[in-house]
Amino acid sequence: MSFFGKFKPSSTPSNPNVSPPAKKDPNAPQPTPLEKLLAPDSLEPVRADGSDKYFGFENYGSTCYCNSIVTALYYSEAFRDHVINFPSKAFLDSISDELEKSAANGGLTGHKNTSTTPYPNPMSPARKVAQPTSPGPNTPVKPEESKDSPEYKKRMAIQNGPVLDMTYDNSKKYGMDESLFTSLKDIFEAVIEQKSRIGVVSPHKFLEILRRENEMFRTAMHQDAHEFLNLLLNQVVDNVEMFSSQHAAIVLQAQANGGAPEKALSKTTTNGVNGVHTPSNGLDTRWVHDLFEGTLTSETRCLTCENTSQRDEAFLDLSVDLSAHTSVTSCLRKFSEEEMLCERNKFHCDNCGGLQEAEKRMKIKRLPRILALHLKRFKYTEDLQRLQKLFHRVVYPFYLRLFNTTEDADDSDRLYELYAVVVHIGGGPYHGHYVSIIKTQDRGWLLFDDELVEPVDKNYVLNFFGGEPQPGVQDAKQLACAYVLFYQETTMEAMLKEQEAEGNQQNKPRTSDAGTTPMDPSTFSPPNLSHLHHTQTVTDPPHELLDHMKPLAHAATAPVAPDHHHAHSQSAPAMPSVANLNVPKSKKELKAEEKERKAAQKAEEKALAAQRKESANKRMEAWRKQEAEMAQIMELSKQSAAEEARKRGEEPAAEKSGGGGLSRFARHGSMSLKGKPKIFGGGKDRDSSAGLPAVPQGAAPADTAPAETPMSPGGAGGEEKAKKNRFSLGRKKSTSLM
Amino acid sequence: MFVLPPPPRYPNGQLYTGMPGGALLETNNTLEHPTGPEYQLVVGEGTYVLRDDMHLATPPPHPSDAPQPNNNPLATTIGPPTAGTKLSTVVFAPKKPPQSQSLFRTTTTQSTRSNFASIQEESQGPKSDAGSTNGYGSRATFGDGNPALAPVAVKGKKKDERPKPKNNIVKSNSSFVSRVIPHESMAKRLGEHSPDGIFAFANVNRAFMWLDLSSPSDMKTENMTKVLFTKAHAICHDVNTFTQSTSHLDVILGFNTGDLIWYEPVSQKYARLNKNGMINNTAVNAVWWLPNKENYFLAAHMDGSLIVYDKEKEDAEFTPEESSPSPTENGYTSNGSTDAVPLPRQSRLNIKKSVQSRNQKTNPISVWKLSNQKIHGVAFSPDGRHLAAVAEDGTLTIMDYLAERVLDVHRSYFGAFLSVTWSPDSRYVLTGGQDDLVCIWSVADHSLVARCVGHESWVRDVKFDPWRCDERNYRFGSVGEDCRLLLWDFSVGMLGRPKIGAHRGSIGNGAPVAREKSHSFSAAGRMRSKSNLSTQPDDSLNGGEANGAAQGARVHGVDSKASTATLPPVMNKVVDSHPLSWLGFQENCIITACDNAHVREWERPKEGAGEEN
Repeated sequence: MSFFGKFKPSSTPSNPNVSPPAKKDPNAPQPTPLEKLLAPDSLEPVRADGSDKYFGFENYGSTCYCNSIVTALYYSEAFRDHVINFPSKAFLDSISDELEKSAANGGLTGHKNTSTTPYPNPMSPARKVAQPTSPGPNTPVKPEESKDSPEYKKRMAIQNGPVLDMTYDNSKKYGMDESLFTSLKDIFEAVIEQKSRIGVVSPHKFLEILRRENEMFRTAMHQDAHEFLNLLLNQVVDNVEMFSSQHAAIVLQAQANGGAPEKALSKTTTNGVNGVHTPSNGLDTRWVHDLFEGTLTSETRCLTCENTSQRDEAFLDLSVDLSAHTSVTSCLRKFSEEEMLCERNKFHCDNCGGLQEAEKRMKIKRLPRILALHLKRFKYTEDLQRLQKLFHRVVYPFYLRLFNTTEDADDSDRLYELYAVVVHIGGGPYHGHYVSIIKTQDRGWLLFDDELVEPVDKNYVLNFFGGEPQPGVQDAKQLACAYVLFYQETTMEAMLKEQEAEGNQQNKPRTSDAGTTPMDPSTFSPPNLSHLHHTQTVTDPPHELLDHMKPLAHAATAPVAPDHHHAHSQSAPAMPSVANLNVPKSKKELKAEEKERKAAQKAEEKALAAQRKESANKRMEAWRKQEAEMAQIMELSKQSAAEEARKRGEEPAAEKSGGGGLSRFARHGSMSLKGKPKIFGGGKDRDSSAGLPAVPQGAAPADTAPAETPMSPGGAGGEEKAKKNRFSLGRKKSTSLM
Repeated sequence: MFVLPPPPRYPNGQLYTGMPGGALLETNNTLEHPTGPEYQLVVGEGTYVLRDDMHLATPPPHPSDAPQPNNNPLATTIGPPTAGTKLSTVVFAPKKPPQSQSLFRTTTTQSTRSNFASIQEESQGPKSDAGSTNGYGSRATFGDGNPALAPVAVKGKKKDERPKPKNNIVKSNSSFVSRVIPHESMAKRLGEHSPDGIFAFANVNRAFMWLDLSSPSDMKTENMTKVLFTKAHAICHDVNTFTQSTSHLDVILGFNTGDLIWYEPVSQKYARLNKNGMINNTAVNAVWWLPNKENYFLAAHMDGSLIVYDKEKEDAEFTPEESSPSPTENGYTSNGSTDAVPLPRQSRLNIKKSVQSRNQKTNPISVWKLSNQKIHGVAFSPDGRHLAAVAEDGTLTIMDYLAERVLDVHRSYFGAFLSVTWSPDSRYVLTGGQDDLVCIWSVADHSLVARCVGHESWVRDVKFDPWRCDERNYRFGSVGEDCRLLLWDFSVGMLGRPKIGAHRGSIGNGAPVAREKSHSFSAAGRMRSKSNLSTQPDDSLNGGEANGAAQGARVHGVDSKASTATLPPVMNKVVDSHPLSWLGFQENCIITACDNAHVREWERPKEGAGEEN
């Protein structure tokens, strides 16, 4: 993990020239790139559908997993519309009497005043520093802090507002119990109602409900964005279905009392519980399924009796295994390749009875309208006994069709377009940061990084293929890899239209607002500023995390001194290159070249010196705070041993295994491990909470395990729970498991 | 022998791209000879063995351009565009690939069917002299009919003397060129170079290298010449095969800055065109000399423009000459009511300056706006009649570039097309793209013949192997992001049948393009039933030509996967640890090049070995 060592916290701008030429009045508000982008249309009325709203989300302390996913969902036009329009106005009107009644009886009052966390949340990093009265001791506000740092921009975003404090609960207005869905709906409606096109959402209530109902998200630790997506979709399904089943009861009750139910509702009432799935009177409870759900057909052929059995399984997202230098197309193909069920993963054949060897393949029978593609970058490695991040380079195109469909699938050549990428930034699964890059309806691609929203070039979207980090390459981009890809259904016509629009846009002269177009990267983020803090919207104080990145490179027992040593050893190989560059060349050339090198060397040395100083200070501070436990120290020293071994000239592969790096965060039995039950199939029982029993392949192909979390959606029967298991299908080759 | 001290090392890998690069890079090329089964390619005809693995030295960024350590994982700065390592090879006296004489080899046992006339004889009458570079006498070439482009007789110029660029690149004080390192005994090496030996040129970031691949291995790593540019990256280059001789090589280089350099390496002279992007300031993604033309070359710019330059003309500020839509644009057909694809503007050829323009004193000669988006590759047909271009928007455009007219616009299954090439007989076009597919397109049938499935990632380069093409079988290869080299044999018998052959349809546009589809289906059917490639092209060619001329360009829909034949590879192997960017076939080897500048030569199986059947 030596590349981590390079990320020195030099948050002071090493180059003052980089900051924008706003020296005259530092307090004068500078339009942000987003404001500049929106400026031409600032006088136009705000759209009613919310498609021209560009709101950041406040980070409540490592809640970036939530922010990135919620934003990605918001910009799915279909999803947003459904959230806004459920329950439909017509339906609400029709049951308004019953609602009032039940409200009076206290029937529908859900959880009220259950707020357990104060508002505003003190965990919010951007907020914390925004209040000058209580500057966090760990985040000293440097007067000369760069205006280009994301931290600064995030704070400004909060300051400039408007900040939508989502502390209220409108669930009663929707005739629903308070739930994740109603809280999500609150957020969407608040954003849409807001007059301003930009601002920050403070999703207080949403997180409160999430944490109240889901133990695994209760801690302020880094969470898995994909698990959250899956949980959120499943809960929305539950909330919506529960609502309609409740109303089936209400309506029935009304009937019994002699009240005449709305005619249009009769279907619901007569069909009873089954009726909830039929879209009647605009009460379409299947919309989440319609959007995200697809069907997989798994064909299993028993090798003993040659009997083939078929099973259909629904999925809300697909989890695909990765291998280096592949495309998502190839990952999906592999997902549907024939797989042998053998050894400890045998198939229970009903025909011959008992566990048999079998061949199995899974193909997509019904294509979802929104394909949420989860790239399984967090893989359990046996030798390290923990999850490890895979940096494999996996390319993804802007447009996609699926090859792994069944022959009888409808519309099997459906065209998908990429509309959102959730990016994980960090060296391992237990820490890091999530951002999302999203295609908006008519503003091109935007980067949503918590509170910060910035326009980006279309090509920027392709920066997150991943790739094994190169030791010694000082490029933090190596840590950022696409984690969840959202493809949505589209048409050739729409694609052609968009391509033409893009071309026109590119051909527009840039002179009019040079430097403000999203095309011009130089307007934001000068390259040489230290933006490290991007990686740590985690609750841990910034430099504490840093401190973790660094010590990987040296022994944990000698915290302070080795840094210099480390830095030297890093730069050392560069030096000889200057001195004895030897090509049989004329003196003049040699001279010129030497000049080149010297310049480069000088610059490098300077930068290194500054970094060293900066980081040494930070680390000292951090070390004092650190309450390192024994096990962690052990782990760290193991890491550093590997690192040292690598330095001695072993192949870099040894070092690669340190990818998970930050052992301190390797909480054994962490919640996020729960989502990967099958990874542990047949593994040693190393931790009571993590070592879930092996799941027989045929029985429950659920990859993530929302059902294992205490979701307790009131009234959801056991059957519903079992159904939930089917979502988010992932698939592991038994051979590639360990 | 001059012994080099240990080469200096740079720790920073490929700083520009952040892409996987070598941990250590050296200023000198290194040569390795790894052995073992993983360095062998087993195909039907025998085993290809890795002969040489040369790692070209990738220069560090120029000091004035050195990237700072980047601590922002979300930094929006985008490095200069790079295209990996691209090569071109020069053989002065090539043992002609089989197709230059008879187009196809007739010695293999499979090809002795008596009634099998050579494709070339049957359908390619006027094209048969394509292989011989001077056989164009009566054929129309680019710029014919425009007196402004008629060759001017230069006084005192000897007939066989090629014009050279003006400036000496070694003594240049241009800020564009950083350093030129000619080999100290270049003249000697040039003299010793066998006429059938392989010279190779390679662009790697800001370096351009001239290598002698046939020199003894102790000399092989030493560049004939290495040119380092200051900031600009060379993205592509091409050597003019029409003018090449032992004393003269016309090389054209395209840069990310839009600049073009005409470089003559033997005399070390150069000239810079489109200086500072005067004519077009977007990066040059591909550059090709026009077939059998001494002076003209085509540059594909990033903004979707195809521009023909004259290497000897001066630049001049360019303003589009014809803003009114060209006749071609109006001549579009929608192929009847069945074709529901709206004709996108970008598929029409927007002629901003015609080659027939009388104003030809300065560059550019012609400017065509082909697409709104990046053009990833262009290729001229070996018969010199057609041009194929592929773009980011997923289109393959086949042009009659002599008449400045678009014939066909095809679409990828999805995503961008990244590479394009022609079969030696100019009958088929291959594309590779972001759908992980290699597609075979029939020019005469205006249709997709087959999709080749086997790559695990995007296909970056495709080439035919002219030494293994005969009238029964086309051999081609492809390389891609998956680090794999795949070899394919395209013959009638190997075409996988479409799963639903009955209704071959296109997708995404509602209804199939009736005429196109039925036509191509019948053609495909004939191919399958008669197993005879050469029976069908005449009528379809004529019909197609007539229709094409009458109706303008055909815009085709996308063929559904169920209705398309698929082809499996005959060889599929990881041949490098980095994404591959270039592939070439030589008489005695296959050459691959990767993003990390490894050039690998895979020696062909020895004659007779492995030819049991």
